[in-house]
Amino acid sequence: MLTTKWVTKKGNVQRKLGNLFYVSVLGGLLISSTAVKAETDAEHLKNLENKLDAMQNELTQMTSGMAHHSTSGAGLPLHGFMDVGFASNSQATPSNPKGFYVGALSLYLAPNFGDNIKALVEPNFEVTPEGTVATDLERLQIGYTFSDTSTVWAGRIHTPYGYWNTGFHHGAQMQTSVMRPRFLDFEDKGGILPAHMVGLWSAGKFKASTGKVTYDVYAGNGPKVAMTDPTSAPSPTNLGTLDINLAGDNNHQAMLGFNVGYEFTGQLDGLRIAGHGLKGDVDDNASAQLNKTELSMIGGSVIYLANDWEVLSEYYGFDDNDKSGSTGSHKSWASYAQIGKSLNDWTPYIRFERTVLSQKDNYFAMQASGQSYARQSLGLRYNLNQNAALKVELLNSNFMAEVGRTAVSYRSVYTQYAIGF
Amino acid sequence: MKATILRLISTATFALLASQNAVAGDLVVIANSGTNLSAGEVRDVFLGEKQFAGSTKLIPVDNAAQQENFLSKTMQMNSVKYSGIWTKKAFRDGLSAPAMKSSDAEVIQFVKSTPGAVGYIGSSASGVNIVK
Repeated sequence: MLTTKWVTKKGNVQRKLGNLFYVSVLGGLLISSTAVKAETDAEHLKNLENKLDAMQNELTQMTSGMAHHSTSGAGLPLHGFMDVGFASNSQATPSNPKGFYVGALSLYLAPNFGDNIKALVEPNFEVTPEGTVATDLERLQIGYTFSDTSTVWAGRIHTPYGYWNTGFHHGAQMQTSVMRPRFLDFEDKGGILPAHMVGLWSAGKFKASTGKVTYDVYAGNGPKVAMTDPTSAPSPTNLGTLDINLAGDNNHQAMLGFNVGYEFTGQLDGLRIAGHGLKGDVDDNASAQLNKTELSMIGGSVIYLANDWEVLSEYYGFDDNDKSGSTGSHKSWASYAQIGKSLNDWTPYIRFERTVLSQKDNYFAMQASGQSYARQSLGLRYNLNQNAALKVELLNSNFMAEVGRTAVSYRSVYTQYAIGF
Repeated sequence: MKATILRLISTATFALLASQNAVAGDLVVIANSGTNLSAGEVRDVFLGEKQFAGSTKLIPVDNAAQQENFLSKTMQMNSVKYSGIWTKKAFRDGLSAPAMKSSDAEVIQFVKSTPGAVGYIGSSASGVNIVK
């Protein structure tokens, strides 16, 4: 009985101790829970925020390699230009046809490989005057940016003379007019200078007093004049076009050039004045009579892009030396001026261009596009939006009668629908 | 309970202040904490004329919520001209136009976590360098 009573008493004590334990544990848990809750209120969000920041940083580091390919983080964007149109003229020739035409589709990619290395790739598709589709690797250049003041490119580039050639080139939607100035057109479309070059190009810009000095210096393969029939001597019926010697320089004489400008700021913001020059030996590929000319060009440009005005003007002076004969040096020049004024989405514009090209200079005499001419253009552009434009342009062209060339005059009208993306 | 009330009050106050800043049309240019820029350099950064701060490659980002304000106040141009300049830059120099973020929060998040990043927002932020 005693035992039983003791046992009972002992059981009561155990139960009380057990209850006390459970109460303690529960209390402890509650206190702990309260503490945790207090921490949650005060610090938990902060801790989570810190963890999120840390994860974000890790993610950034992990993806930094990808980010270098595109700072937008949206992959490698594909850009390009395309245009179509209609042309009519008072004197149709095989190189100046009437009717609807397909212009060019020019695509370009500009991938970055890290902070300093970048590339520009531009395949171009265009319809030739003969109606076939020509494919061209318009640009293939790889660059290294040392700083804001210096980037060096290697490969096939747009030759950086003047303003138009690098500023617009195949970007019909970017240029106000339908046509380029004829003498600055592409090598096979009336141009008298190598619009492309294979070689090295250094470019940059640095601050100077109230503005910025810009520079381009380049060296590469000089062009040759590719004759229609290389087996015959150059003649009025056997002329050629400039070939940029993509695979290597045929005469191992580098072409050198520069373009140095000054961009104003403040009251004259939008004004750029520049001087440019180009020098190199140019041969033809006629087996019967090889001509070698030292091409020597110097000139300048004045550009004003502000207050809804667009004023473009470029001058090219030539003093070419006959190195295969004894005719000495010959002076020529080419120039244009274009003025446009934007009135909301409408831009009327006018352009005058003129060339006086010596036919004693083999460089011009051998080129099909080496005939002196004068042209006036009057046009109107309408921006459908930031990426699309409609244009109409009237041209009056007069080609001069020169040795081996007959005078030609005609009027033309061009319409163009151009987009950029 | 007190903490909750305090949080509510501070949140409401912050929202009110932020709202007042947005109404006032304030604009703050921010850069990653490791990137130092002066206010006079901002225009060049957003035109691709200044690509480096020391050895750090700059990565400007646009903010759709503030772009009109930024372009008119800081760049002195409209979006058509800005877009046109970048089209020419991309074509001639192979540069990429600034990526577009949709809000202040996105810009702050990107600038905080990306070395060399520069953006603009409608009110001040912590954890970044305030350029302007």
